[in-house]
Amino acid sequence: MRSKVITWSVLAVLVLGVVPLFVSDTFVLRILTEAIMWIGLAITFDVLAGYTGYLNFGHGAFFGIGAYTTAIMMVRANWPFTTALLAAALVTAICALVAGIPTLRLRGAYFAIATWALSLAIQQLALILTITGGPDGMRLPPFLDPVYFFYLMLGVVSATFFLLWYLLERAPFGLKLKAIREDELGAQSLGLNPTRLKIQAFVLSAIPTGILGGIYAYWITFIDPASTLSDLVSDQALVMVVFGGMGTLIGPVIGALLIFSFKTIFWAYLSNFQLLYLIILGAVIALSVVFLPNGLWGTIRNRKNRRGGPKKNQESLSRDAEADKKSETKSALAAELKACTQKDGVK
Amino acid sequence: MMATPLLELKSVTKTFGGLTANNQVSFKVQPGEIVGLIGPNGAGKTTLFNVISGYYAPSHGQILFKGKDISGKPPYELAALGIGRTFQVVKPFPGLSVLENVLIASFLRYPKRAQAEEHAWHILEITGLADRAEVSAAGLTLAGRKRLEIGKALALEPSFLLLDEVVAGLNPTEVDLTIELILKVRDQGVTILIVEHIMRVIMQICDRLAVLNYGEKIAEGTPAEISSNPAVIKAYLGETAA
Repeated sequence: MRSKVITWSVLAVLVLGVVPLFVSDTFVLRILTEAIMWIGLAITFDVLAGYTGYLNFGHGAFFGIGAYTTAIMMVRANWPFTTALLAAALVTAICALVAGIPTLRLRGAYFAIATWALSLAIQQLALILTITGGPDGMRLPPFLDPVYFFYLMLGVVSATFFLLWYLLERAPFGLKLKAIREDELGAQSLGLNPTRLKIQAFVLSAIPTGILGGIYAYWITFIDPASTLSDLVSDQALVMVVFGGMGTLIGPVIGALLIFSFKTIFWAYLSNFQLLYLIILGAVIALSVVFLPNGLWGTIRNRKNRRGGPKKNQESLSRDAEADKKSETKSALAAELKACTQKDGVK
Repeated sequence: MMATPLLELKSVTKTFGGLTANNQVSFKVQPGEIVGLIGPNGAGKTTLFNVISGYYAPSHGQILFKGKDISGKPPYELAALGIGRTFQVVKPFPGLSVLENVLIASFLRYPKRAQAEEHAWHILEITGLADRAEVSAAGLTLAGRKRLEIGKALALEPSFLLLDEVVAGLNPTEVDLTIELILKVRDQGVTILIVEHIMRVIMQICDRLAVLNYGEKIAEGTPAEISSNPAVIKAYLGETAA
């Protein structure tokens, strides 16, 4: 099944690659470019959420940091786009490293809250600084070539996908992250250093996100704190990943495509019912959490190789049984020792 | 007896606020031995395990492993040094298969996936889990999960193994199989420190015993010496029985 995924992915990239040869409609290209970008944001979100078990609400902040670094380098320092984009990758990596060291010591909801607060802080920072243009945002030198951005986005996102697929599904790294997700304390006794692995995952997830932010900034030519640094980016990525299936890489791709198409169709044809979009989205998420806890792809895959089974129930049942047996053992202890002392006497 | 003990505890004390879980515990484990750590409930056995395996830093005292001070080192460093452990409340990675569980531990000595997989299969053969390799770890029986727990620790190729109640809760046949496994591991040169409540097991496999009560070591010696030690009998059965 694994090699099938690669075959299908390569095929999908090739098909997408010839699209601009036949489609000259700027609107269609633009929609496709944005869809690909969301796939990128969803799969990078999955590195932490699905594989490592940490919900990072600062994901959008990495996107914004990448966008702002690119914009600042191009506008204030007159750097060319490619160099500015490299700077964006570097700055995002450093930010992830600095932010990860304290926050990744936290677990569960505390990590989510800390990263959320951190992303709000960065948004506020962008609002008050002059170098970022404050609330007015920044205008980048316009470069209006939809085909260029389509290929750039496709190239970066597919490279990210194949890299993550290799690291998370083929190399030991993915299994190590999963071990941390399943039981962080237990993983330590097997020689895994959770803090180091989590920081590696954090940086791995942040770098492509920052690059995507940089491409987005140059592509859209205007950024402000509301568009690139709000929690919307993290929230949407979360929804796509949960709906598609966490910890599978394929699930987030499917989730991103479905949610993004839904959003686009709604905005294009039913723009009078904006409110309805959020209500429907909310309902879809609530329903998928209840009925498809493993997401679309996770559910399909489990049905295929029926390995998942009724995990939770079995687990808690046998845990009870274990507890019962333990109390039995302990009450029988004294009697047993007595028997031993009589039997063995002086050996 | 021998030159350097594999493990040496020098008056190890662990306190939690005002509670003293281990008080000035000292003992030695020689290479190749199976040492049992026994004591009534709440005696501080599991706490001592957590201190030795790096989950807690000792409040006072020193832990020497192969003559080197390891007090306060994190569990993953100790794993690299050759200390493997199991948990009383077993810690499988429930969402992963049995093979993947062991594979994760195998990466410590075999960083390349192909070698790690070969090693993991070898461990599954030894622990009798090979036929359930592809099953989710959550789907194993208690006996299976206790074996998996041992398997994961063995996959680290430890020179010293800490076993925390790996027999408790198993039926007599499973107990015998586990005893067999432990002895086999010892014969391959692994030194073992074991906490166990089932005295039949302790008496059968241990070369020496250390007894804890209220966090303090009250006795140390061969199983025969311990079973006739008045202080131990008193600790287990109370004043009148002694």
